Parts: sequence; structure tokens; C-alpha cells
Amino acid sequence: MAANSWPEKTRIINTRYPRLDGLAKASGRAKYPSDEKPEGTLFGVVLYSPHAHVKIKSLDSSAAEKLPGVKAIEVIAGPGKTLRYHGDDIAIVVAETEEQARDGARAIKIDYEFLPHAATESQAMAENAPQIVNGGNVRKGRAQTTGKPDDALKAADAVVEGTYFAPVITHVCLEPHGLTARWDDKNHITAWASTQSVMATANELAESNELPVSNVTVLTEVMGGGFGSKFGADIWGTTAARISKKVGGRPVKIFLDRAQEHLAGGNRPSVLAKVKIAGTKDGKITSLVAETFGTGGVARGAQFPLPYVYSIANFKREHSDVFVNGGNARAMRAPGHPQGCLVMESALDDLAAKLGVDPLAMRRANLAPNDFRTPIYLNEMEIGAELIGWKANYKPRGSQTGVVRRGMGVALHQWGGGGANDKQVSCTIFPDGTIELKSATQDIGTAIRTVLAMIAAEVFGLKPTDIKSNIGNSTFPPGQSSGGSTTTPSMSPPCYNACLDARDELFKKIAPGLPGNPAASDLSLADGQLLVKGQPAMSFKEACRKIGMNPISVIGKSSQGLASNGVAGVQFVDLSVDTETGAVKLHKIVAVQDSGLIIDKLTWESQVFGGVIGGLNYGLFEERVVDPVSGRMLNPDMELYQLAGASDIPEIICHAYEPDDQKKRGVIGIGEPPTIGTAAAIGNAVANAIGVRVPHFPMTPMNILNALAKEGKA
Amino acid sequence: MKAFEYVGASSADQAVKALSSGAVVMSGGTDLINRMKDYVTSPARVVNLSDAKDLAGISGDAASGVTILAGTRLADVLASDIIKKAFPALWQTTSEVGTPQIRNMASVGGNLMQHPRCWYYRSGFGLVPKSADGKHMLREGDNRYAAIFMTDGDALYAHPSSLAIPLIALGARATLVGPDGERTIALADLYKVPTSNEDSPFAAKAGEILKSISIPAAAGKNGSYEARHKQAHDWPLVLASVNLTMSGDTVSDATVVVYGVAPVPWRSKAAEEAIKGKAVTIESAKAAGAAAAQGAKPLSMNGYKVALLKTVVARALCVTVGNRYWEA
Repeated sequence: MAANSWPEKTRIINTRYPRLDGLAKASGRAKYPSDEKPEGTLFGVVLYSPHAHVKIKSLDSSAAEKLPGVKAIEVIAGPGKTLRYHGDDIAIVVAETEEQARDGARAIKIDYEFLPHAATESQAMAENAPQIVNGGNVRKGRAQTTGKPDDALKAADAVVEGTYFAPVITHVCLEPHGLTARWDDKNHITAWASTQSVMATANELAESNELPVSNVTVLTEVMGGGFGSKFGADIWGTTAARISKKVGGRPVKIFLDRAQEHLAGGNRPSVLAKVKIAGTKDGKITSLVAETFGTGGVARGAQFPLPYVYSIANFKREHSDVFVNGGNARAMRAPGHPQGCLVMESALDDLAAKLGVDPLAMRRANLAPNDFRTPIYLNEMEIGAELIGWKANYKPRGSQTGVVRRGMGVALHQWGGGGANDKQVSCTIFPDGTIELKSATQDIGTAIRTVLAMIAAEVFGLKPTDIKSNIGNSTFPPGQSSGGSTTTPSMSPPCYNACLDARDELFKKIAPGLPGNPAASDLSLADGQLLVKGQPAMSFKEACRKIGMNPISVIGKSSQGLASNGVAGVQFVDLSVDTETGAVKLHKIVAVQDSGLIIDKLTWESQVFGGVIGGLNYGLFEERVVDPVSGRMLNPDMELYQLAGASDIPEIICHAYEPDDQKKRGVIGIGEPPTIGTAAAIGNAVANAIGVRVPHFPMTPMNILNALAKEGKA
Repeated sequence: MKAFEYVGASSADQAVKALSSGAVVMSGGTDLINRMKDYVTSPARVVNLSDAKDLAGISGDAASGVTILAGTRLADVLASDIIKKAFPALWQTTSEVGTPQIRNMASVGGNLMQHPRCWYYRSGFGLVPKSADGKHMLREGDNRYAAIFMTDGDALYAHPSSLAIPLIALGARATLVGPDGERTIALADLYKVPTSNEDSPFAAKAGEILKSISIPAAAGKNGSYEARHKQAHDWPLVLASVNLTMSGDTVSDATVVVYGVAPVPWRSKAAEEAIKGKAVTIESAKAAGAAAAQGAKPLSMNGYKVALLKTVVARALCVTVGNRYWEA
């Protein structure tokens, strides 16, 4: 029978448990999809556009075809086709070795007709800009208006006008996009894919190769990061499968190189916001008027939530998506929220500074009165303020005069994180005592394999290491795609139900044969033992032997009450800014985060660490730099595309907000929320330190010194 | 990368003999291999110097001067007590290069002979990048990391070698060896400003390799200060090294060299003049920093480097007298 609540007392659930594949990952023994090299593997390389906007006049692959080792060339964009960004796909070359494939790709001769490009937001928005798509580069959405924002601006005690900008950043998955596809026979494909959805990838491979999806197996034992950018096979993957068929079934491996990963693997849209925000002396925001822009490449997708978190009676907002000759956006860890958060939190902080209101009081004054998150925010702000040392160290903006100035900042964020209710997990008890879980979900890094094993271990009175927790196979019972922080809340309920049902069936089956003829309800499991009326009777293994030849196998489904949706979250940052060099030194970041019932507190913390580090990269380092002259990305690497190294990362305190009323909500996802507020809190801490808003993210020496110079303070 | 011929040289002489037209030398490989992978440099032959025993090692002492053979790894420079004590300007700058892994591979000669990091160059547009319609890409494009001096010319990138800065400040000389034997020049003269993409940024003749660097006897005080974006693995934005001859507490002679502001290591005579005859104080150091900025002509995006230039010159001077005012 399906459960509607988690057990009150737990032995394994809600403890810190190391991930089952942690040692294999840390030691290099874990085989990632890009490590797989089945016998006979051929290597594919994608030839992509070196130009921002061109039409292909002619393409000649005859010389390339004759090169040693080259087995197949598939043209994606032939003569007459327009390439719309640096990194746009042209062709795929498959050869015996990766080097031969690269030589092949370089040997394809192409004549281009150059078209005018608009590769940056300012180029695309300029008057007389070349129109790179039909319908115009700037797509204005419908204005949203609530209340009387213009009247409220006039009546306010203070008005702040601000412009806030953050550039496009990319996912920088350590394992690039790609897969290896093999036609096993003329009706079956096996693919080893680095994906956030084995099922979606299987569907795509099946459809593009005209096979029933049951004939396609997609395997993702582990993977090296996706952050929202890896939900399908992509054209690289479907082409790899097609070429495998063409060459008689030999496996074809195509993984992007680092440059193309930046160029074509997805990105987070930029944000430009021109904001007027107004308020009263008591710290209440009375009006917000915002004109916002962002680019998601040669497509829409740059929308983001605003107002964000706070309840504002009067607001007007107009958003425009700007089309540029750049790689297209893909979902990236909390799509839209980091942008909305940094605009809202920057503007709120600037208004607080102008009104002379304490930033924490300002935030408390503007939370929605009837929202379930409000008491959570209030408690989290109190905890976070204590952990960062706000009372002792906070000084009002602009009150410092030294060369190096300390700053503190705060930001609030929110997310959903609820699960789907149609996923399944199978639980099989074998006569030798093996317990196997199966589901077609995958571990994007949240440790779902370990989480499922912990739930099973809780039910069966075993250790998580006793459980075979099998995921990452598209032929298993339908599992959740890993996006939106939904995997754990989608998969934990069916896992729990599967284990409960399997256990009950075990009891029913063996009770009649036990000495004294106990009822099934007299049996229980603890510490690897079968208990009868509370007394140890035999080991779990011995008990399983009594089920006979046939394993017990059940499929668990979701049920009400085990998972929930909607989280808050507060982050604090303590840093210093050297006003003569513009260098920022982070001292400490505090992340206070609710997420219902936490199954594994250790891997939960790991998600929060990862989220905060991603967020501080957004705040301090990352920027897709595009050359206005050539329209090319200038830093498609991991050198000039800057990312934090170990010495850039400060002490990070991850505080789980989980009083009993939170635990009772059941499981909620954690992947997204802890990355949202970090950059906003960093921006506010910098402004607090130097007394000047740095309007342009990331917080680089260039942007900080420019902001100081503009205010005459450098 | 393109296929190439490989020669492993076990001595400098062998290397010189193996050099032919279209050949390049490789030392640690931390720059060359990346350029080859990106097809920025596609040599017909690579002559590997890393096994040449007569190209690695540090000899001499503070009183008589130090010779560093070109193949010496940066990690070995850091391990030298003589350099740490007598030439802190060099030691400090070396410690800030790359990562421990890079410092274990990269050599002093390789650092001095590396190619510019300019992203137009690394994208394949050359050192004087021009678009099809004749625009100077670095002048018109994203020049946040480019030069702020000599910007009337065509080479607008920032010189890439951070070790050249303290070494030139310390008066180092470079010995080159080639088919016609050895010659020794001021290290500063190893560099030149290319005027076209076919031009070299080095004054070495064809067939010559860098053999060693000699630093004259230590006299007075020297120090460096680097401004950068990241704490971890990053390039300096602007870096200054100073070498001061002292007469009591007064600076009687000074050399001030700056990284990140010109297509060659930038000697700031204005800063030198400003500090001469003065004791090093925060005020005199800042005045020298301000003097260093005279004549700077930043491009469209790198005006912030003028502020950095002033700061690093002032701080490098303060470092020599142990005044780290910014840490107070």
C-alpha cells in the first residue's frame, strides 16, 4: 500500500551518507560516457562555423573523403544554408582516429558569402542594425502593469534609477556534450550518452533512426555535469547513430571539444535592466518600473521573473528578447532566476541605501504577507545574519574610507523543486538476499543513486551499500529527467513505495513457513535481521532464501504526501574590495536553504556547495566575450573564460533549514535554489564596501574600477 | 594539430643543429602545444629542449650575479634561496605564474619566449589583427586586456612574459646561441614590436635559441607587485618590478618596468625620474605611480589599466621598503 508520509524516526534517511560511487569518481575508476570506447569505435568531429553570419556558397568534401582513415562525412548545412553564429554546425566527419577526423574536417573546402552580423546586444539593438532574423532583432513582449506605478513613483520618499547588466555565461560542463552510438544489429542501438535524460535521448535516437524506442538502449552510468544543457541526443548524437548504421554498426563516438562546448552547448541569457524603484521611509517599496532585455542567441528564451521574491503593489515591466548571432541559450541551473534575483536585489539594495534603511529591515518589510515562504525567509535571514556576523561587521554603504574595504551583502531567492507524480521504481528481492532497484533516471550529480539506496536500506533494515541501485538505463521503468530540481522529489516516493510493497510481499510469503506461524504483521526488519514480534529470528539473507525460486519484484509508483514544492533561501556574503586594484577577496558565504525533508544530508550539502560556487563564478568571473568586429567568441576556453580556482573560493557555510514542519513537507529538490542568490549577494557586498553600485557583472577589476572612476572615487 | 617532425635534443648544440627552416623549439611546451592544437602555430619540425642537460640549472650568487639557464623550470627558480633572498622581485613574480603543475613544466626561457595571449592572435588573426575590410580588430574590438602605451602603432597586444619584467628591472642579459656561436644582449633587446603578421615579436635571428639569462650582482632593493583578477591561475592584468640603488634611505638610481601596458616590457623612465633622489614613502611611491601614467593612451575599453598602472608601480616601490600599506 502506498505511503502518504515518511517514517517519523529514521535510521538512514536524513543522515550524512557518502555517495555510493564517490570513491570510483574520486579515484578515476568511474567510467563516464565519454570514457567509453567499445571495440571498433570510430571518432567523429563536428566542423562548425568560424564566422558569425555567413551563407554557404559551396562546400566540397571530396578531398576530405580521400584522407586516410576518414570513413564518413555527413553535411548538416550545405550550399545555400545560412550559418548564424560562431559554432553553428556545418558537417560531421567520422574517422578511425580523432586526429584523422580533425584533419578531415579541416580539409572540407567552403566558400562563404559574408552577411552583416549583430553579435553583441548593443550591435543588435543599435539603430540601423542589420536585421539578422525576420521580424527584427528586438522582440518586445507585452507590458505587464499592476497598480499605478507612475503615480507611486511621484509620491515616493526616494526614487532610484539604475541600470544593471550581466553577460551571457555558458554551462562549462566538465564532460562535454556527446555520445557513442552503436548499431548492435540491424534493429537495435546502444548509446553511451552524457545526458540528463536517458529516456528523452532514447526517444530522439529512435525517432531519428526510425526504430521502435524499445530497440534503443541509452546508458548513463555517471555523467560529468549538465546544468540544464543536456536533455537530448542533439544533432551530434543522432548523426553519430546514423553514421554507425552506415558503416556497418561500428560504434561512432562524438563529443564536442571545449571550444564548441562554449559556442554551441548552450548558455544562460544575458540581462540588461533599466529600473526605477521607489519607496517610503519605512522601507516599503512602492513602485518598480523596469525595461528589461536579454539575449538567448538567435532565438527567444531570455525572459526572467521580475519583480522577484518581494511583494510590490505597483509595477510596470516591459521585456524584450534580443536576437544576436550567438549560440542559443539552453536551460541553465534555475533558468531566469539568477538574472531576476540580481536585478531585484541590486535595485532593492540601492533603494535601501538611498532611504537609509537597513538592508535586512528593507527585505523584511517587503515580503508578501500571506505567502508560505515569508516565515521561512524571516527565520533564514535571522540564522544567516548570525552565521555571517552581520551585527558585528555590517557597516552602512559608503561609510568606509580605507584602501581595502570590507563589504557584506545579502540576497533572497526562491524555487519550485517539486517532483512529477508519474515516475516508477522497481524493487526486486532475490532469493539470495540481493535487493535491486531500477529506474530510468540518471545522476546529474545530486546522488540519486545513493538517495534511492538509502531509502531502500531504511525499509529493509540494511546498509545503503547492500542495495544494488541501478539507474542510467533507458529500458528501466520510467524515471525522471534531471531538470528543475525534480529528480529526488520525483524518484523518492516511488522508490519508497516499491520497497514497502516488496517488503510486505516478502513478509506475506515467508510468514506461514516460520516457526510458530506468525502473521505477516508480526514481522519486521532491522540491522540485517528478520524480527518476529520484535525478536531477532534470522538474518535477512536467510529470510530471503525462504521465498523459493522466484524473486519478488514490484513496481512502485508515486503517492501523495511524500514530496512537495516551493522553497525560499537566503545567502550572505562577506568580502573585501581593494579600491586601488578592483580586486575582490571573498571571505565567507553563508547559504541558508530549506528543501523539505533531506534524504542525504551530505550530498545535499554538496549540491549547495556546487550551487554557491557556480553562483560566485557568475558574480565574479564568467563572461562570454564576443568580438564586435568578427562576431566570434573570443574566450571559448577555460583560460580567458574565467572560473574560480581553489584559492578563489572562500569558506562556505551550508545551513539546512529543516525544522519539523519542513521535514513534514516531504522531499523537495535542491539542485537549483542555492545557485540563485550568490551573485546578487556578491554585487550587493561590493556596493556596500565601496559605496558605489557596480552595474556591470561580473565583479572584475575592470568593472569595479570603471564604476569607481565614474563616481570620481578612483 | 598538423603532423610535424620531432627531434629530441640532448644538448644546446644538438638543438641548434636540428633547427631548420620551419622548425620551432619547445621547452616546457605549456604554450607551444596549445598553439599547435589550435592551429595558431603549425611547425614542420619541433625540437624539444627539455632533455638538454646543459640548458638547465642556476649558478652564481648574490654578490657576483646569477646565471639561469633557459631550460630551468619555474619551480626550480622558486626553490632557489639565492633568488628568493637577493632577487625577491623575480621570486615573487615567478611564484604568481600559472599553477603548480605549470610551474613544474614551464621553463624560464619558455616564459620569456612565449607568444602573446591576445585573444585575436589565439583566434588565428595574427599579432596585427585586421578584418577583411581593413579594421584593426584590437583597436575596434574588445581590447580590455590590450596595451595603453605605444597605441599609435599597429601592435596593440600586451606583452605576455611576466618574468621579463623583474629580469629587465634587474638588468638581466640574455645569451643566445646559434650557428654562428653565442652572443649576449640586454634582455630588453630580445623583444621588438612587429609591424605585420609575418613579423616576429623577437629579435632572435633564425636558428638562434635562448641559452641563458644573467642577472648582475644584487645591489640595493628590488620588488614586484602584480594586479590580477583571480587569485588562482590567472595572468597579471598589470605588474610592475622595480630595482633601486640606494644611498642611505634615498633612491639614487631606479629601474621601473611594467607588464600589461605595451607590446614589449614597458620601461617607465618617468617613474624612475620621479622616485630618484627621494626616500620611498607612500607619497613618493604614489607620485612615481602617477608619473608612470604620463603619456598613456588607452584604447576604448582599457582605461582602467591606467589606474592599475599607477597602483602597481606605487606598490612595487613600497614593497622594497616593506611597506604593504594596502594590507593595513
